[in-house]
Amino acid sequence: MEKKTGVYICTGCGIGDALESAALTKVATGEYKVPVCKEHPFLCSAEGAALIRTDLEEAGVNTIVIAACSPRVMTDVFDFGADTVMERVNLREQVVWSHPANDEDTQMLAEDQLRMGLVKARDAEPPEPFMAEDLSKRVLVVGGGLAGMTSANEAAKAGYEVVLVENSDRLGGYLKDVYKLPPSQPPYEELQESNLEALTQEVNNQPAIKTYLGVQIEAISGAPCMFDVRIRQNGQEAAERVGAIVLASGSVPYDPNKLLDLGYGKVPDVVTAAQLEAMFTTGKVTRPSNGQPVKSVAFILCAGSRDPQHLPYCSAACCVESLKQAKYFKETDGGMPVYVFYKDIRASGNYELFYKQLQKDGVFFVRGAVTAIEDDGSGGLTVLADDELTRSPIMSESVDLVVLATGMVPTTAFGEAFKAQAPKEGDEESVVPSDTILVSNILNLQYRQGPEMPALQYGFPDSHFICFPYESRRTGIYAAGSVRAPMDYARCTEDGAGAALKAIQCVEMVAQGRAVHPRVGDQTYPEFFMQRCTQCKRCTEECPFGAINEDEKANPLPNPTRCRRCGVCMGACPERIISFKNYSVAMVGNMIKGINVPEEDEEKPRLLVLTCENDAYPALDLAGIRRLTYNPWVRFIQVRCLGSMNLVWIADALSKGIDGILLLGCKHGDEYQCHFIKGSELANIRMTKVQETLNRLVLESDRVRLEQLSIADYERLPEILDGFADRVQELGPNPYKGY
Amino acid sequence: MEPKNVSLEMRDYIAEMGAETINWCMQCGLCTNLCPWRLVPGETSDGFNIRHMQRLGQMGMEGFEEETILFACSTCSMCQSNCPRGVKIVDNVRGMRASIVGGGMAPAHLRPILGSAHANGNPWAGPREKRTVWQEGLDIPQFGPETEYFLFVCCHSCYDPRSTKIARSIAALLRHAGVSFGVIGAEESCCGESMRKMGDEELFLKLAESNIELYNGKGVQKIITTSPHCLWTFKNEYPELGGEWEVIHYTALLSQLQEEGKLPLAKSLAKKTAFHDPCYLGRHSEIYDAPRQLLSSALQADPVELGRARELSLCCAGGGGRIWAEVPMGERFGELRIKDALNVGAEVLATSCPYCLNMLTDACKSLDQQDSLEILELSEILAGALEEGQ
Ligand code: SF4
Ligand code: SF4
Ligand code: SF4
Ligand code: SF4
Repeated sequence: MEKKTGVYICTGCGIGDALESAALTKVATGEYKVPVCKEHPFLCSAEGAALIRTDLEEAGVNTIVIAACSPRVMTDVFDFGADTVMERVNLREQVVWSHPANDEDTQMLAEDQLRMGLVKARDAEPPEPFMAEDLSKRVLVVGGGLAGMTSANEAAKAGYEVVLVENSDRLGGYLKDVYKLPPSQPPYEELQESNLEALTQEVNNQPAIKTYLGVQIEAISGAPCMFDVRIRQNGQEAAERVGAIVLASGSVPYDPNKLLDLGYGKVPDVVTAAQLEAMFTTGKVTRPSNGQPVKSVAFILCAGSRDPQHLPYCSAACCVESLKQAKYFKETDGGMPVYVFYKDIRASGNYELFYKQLQKDGVFFVRGAVTAIEDDGSGGLTVLADDELTRSPIMSESVDLVVLATGMVPTTAFGEAFKAQAPKEGDEESVVPSDTILVSNILNLQYRQGPEMPALQYGFPDSHFICFPYESRRTGIYAAGSVRAPMDYARCTEDGAGAALKAIQCVEMVAQGRAVHPRVGDQTYPEFFMQRCTQCKRCTEECPFGAINEDEKANPLPNPTRCRRCGVCMGACPERIISFKNYSVAMVGNMIKGINVPEEDEEKPRLLVLTCENDAYPALDLAGIRRLTYNPWVRFIQVRCLGSMNLVWIADALSKGIDGILLLGCKHGDEYQCHFIKGSELANIRMTKVQETLNRLVLESDRVRLEQLSIADYERLPEILDGFADRVQELGPNPYKGY
Repeated sequence: MEPKNVSLEMRDYIAEMGAETINWCMQCGLCTNLCPWRLVPGETSDGFNIRHMQRLGQMGMEGFEEETILFACSTCSMCQSNCPRGVKIVDNVRGMRASIVGGGMAPAHLRPILGSAHANGNPWAGPREKRTVWQEGLDIPQFGPETEYFLFVCCHSCYDPRSTKIARSIAALLRHAGVSFGVIGAEESCCGESMRKMGDEELFLKLAESNIELYNGKGVQKIITTSPHCLWTFKNEYPELGGEWEVIHYTALLSQLQEEGKLPLAKSLAKKTAFHDPCYLGRHSEIYDAPRQLLSSALQADPVELGRARELSLCCAGGGGRIWAEVPMGERFGELRIKDALNVGAEVLATSCPYCLNMLTDACKSLDQQDSLEILELSEILAGALEEGQ
């Protein structure tokens, strides 16, 4: 397709007052020979947009550059369809709002930003969405507990077919072994009967839900909308094709044998909450030591939870479950001595009323560490603890039974660590730390990166609890319920519905050839120019989402529907063979080359700033909105993720005579905020390599710097940018300038 | 440290003795921080922590029985009115005291008080027949079948010479407004409110029963009390024992009469006057407006409000048996109250409770401020306005 480019410069919002627009026009029409270039005092008005539309419809323009406000705003006004290549040059937030008006340096900044926009518009192509073949919009739900059943029901009610697999022979999960439930209705003081039957009925009555019981998932291969699931049932095998997966395999209690300090395994009358629950469901509540009825009881909360030696996290539901069990006893005999030893009672929301009721019922609540459980000589047990509320050690009366509220461990936290194929001799050792994936035999994914989900922390397969619930690091697979995070009944229900919605979103987007979170709707995807691939495996290893498989010859086999479009593979590839229609190594390289670098004696250094689109770029916009000012030598290029940075850009920039390169990305490490999980960390690893190279070339490694910031850190930007400029000035001009 | 033993039996005993809501407490500590004991220094303040004391009760553990702790609370209800769990803290204090006093272990300084109430029907060591001395020269009517109201005068105002002026003033006001009232006299016994708060359940019961028998025998239907303490126990504790009457504090009755135009007063008092809300009239009985309305009608200028007033009023420290406690200077809540009054530039501090009058007068003297600030009972001011109005 022959390109005909139109450039539209807005002079509203102070742009025209601060910049010489005629000079900008000259850049477009003179330097870049653009056939159409227009100014408008209010481009986002109906009239302004109509001006562009008329050119598109009548003047044969098919590629446009809008030099106006940030591409993050006015997206509805400046929407001319996916077939039109459009590039927006941010003259407002990042030029005139953050630099002095009518200043030579501000004008040069604006012109360079325009040049880069023109280059990008010239090199970009309209997207050609990837269309999955034989696509399925069905949802596979793994696990038939509360979260799983809810998910299946919700998806079915929304009109989607569901395949529900459960490895035991009955639906219900944890609920199967539950005697009664804590209150979920006003006045929140009494126990409730289990609702399992009704829930199971609902699942069974949904014609859209196909349930498999007593099964194991043999293998899942493929990608979103094209997952092929092999299910083994009584030695038989069934096959299902599904579009997305909800992982709701639940959790199991922490191993009480590790709690020797609390007497488990040594003292017969020390039992777990699960054992006590079973006593109530079977109707035989007796002391294991002698079979006598239980006449007094002590609960020990946080047994193994919130303890760095065991589970460092709070298991979220055991407080209320223990209150519930205390109520079992109080319902039977109101006068019975019942103790609860706790760290904090985490019975939030309406459960507070239940807690209050149990206080009224006369349960002894003791806040403090249990120091010993002793045989009192008469066959009973006494519990010693440090009572924080009286600041003294205390001793309970003799009790018949001690119950340990053991915490929750996700079912994904078991199994050996998966090891990718051992590196062959002569293979370069990977500098990228690989993710821990445990072979827990739940999903059995046929992914090159391992058969299960990479964990975030403590074995929970979430990718970011706070920002993106249900998201995992495997596109199209969403975790729900206590496998995702420790949670109670109410939250499991909510989770089931939430993850079902995520799964539905996924199949709908993928069916249109679009990306899911976080580049929702993106129609581009990475294309591989295989002739030049050297089978170095960097892309397959570095893709944070396990999107790329490989064949026996180590050729990468991309799965576009698993892809999140981060560009990490593009950044990783040393042969530069991975590109998107509107984002490629060469394209950004050309943009860099488009920057006008003044001669050394002009003493105008140039700093290339690669900004991550997720936090750094919006932070720059915010700085502009707040009219914070910073150094005008910067030249911004927005990148999908710092992880998409290809090292060749650094070389391009340095040989062009750019004096310093700053990478602005999200926080990496344990508390990462990178939207693509690994991108920022990978950029950091690559940067270390650059710095080694720079040292070899006798160029100061300080010329390249990476800064981590979140969107809320916009106030730090002037300091970061000015500080870097100062440092570069100290280093003096890039010696390659002018070559 | 040796571990302390938890005892269900002890906990249940305390609860049975009146600390019915002891288990409701979630140990948030709000009570401790709202308690006026936090506002003063000293040994009692250091030792007494109501949250901690209730914790011991909750666990049936020893340690609360020590005198400076167990008998520190003035039952002002500052904590109780604000407890997020609705714990009846004052009842818990009473129940815990009862668990000790009931076993014959009343603290030494309270024994003569309780003894006098036992023997004389009043805690002030006054002989029964002297109960009517305040009436001298007033020709107070006897309660009879035709009388509408029985006027019950607090023991304090029967025996304490300064306090008798309250009784005399109230009688004058009632008479002036044309109220049909009468007294019974020497057979009346102390209402027992403070005795019960001190933990002597048995004594309270004895006093209450004798009063109930007496009043019911006389055909009493309606009672006017001079003190908010008597008001509170008659209203809240007597009915379940068989004393079911219409009980009203004099301030409430007088303000009604005033609204009906039956109590014209002259705006005679020219001094800048502030009102101190008694705990048992305010927080315990929620009467805040009646005394203010009456006071306004006797003042030339509007009354001034203290910094902490109404629901936030600071206790004078006279309730819960504390009127009989020896408290070192500098640790008395009353002194803070005097400073509150001086801070707003008051020349008169009015109140409407004999205990408050007593405590505030003492505090004013101990601060040597009697020349700057006069402590008066509301009835005295009103009666003054009456005389001049006539
Ligand atoms: S829910 Fe309660 S018992 Fe369970 S780990 Fe958290 S604080 Fe401990
Ligand atoms: S690295 Fe990113 S862009 Fe590349 S395949 Fe993986 S998800 Fe897609
Ligand atoms: S304010 Fe109420 S709940 Fe809080 S510690 Fe005091 S009595 Fe307990
Ligand atoms: S009633 Fe008053 S004195 Fe007693 S503990 Fe509560 S706040 Fe303190």
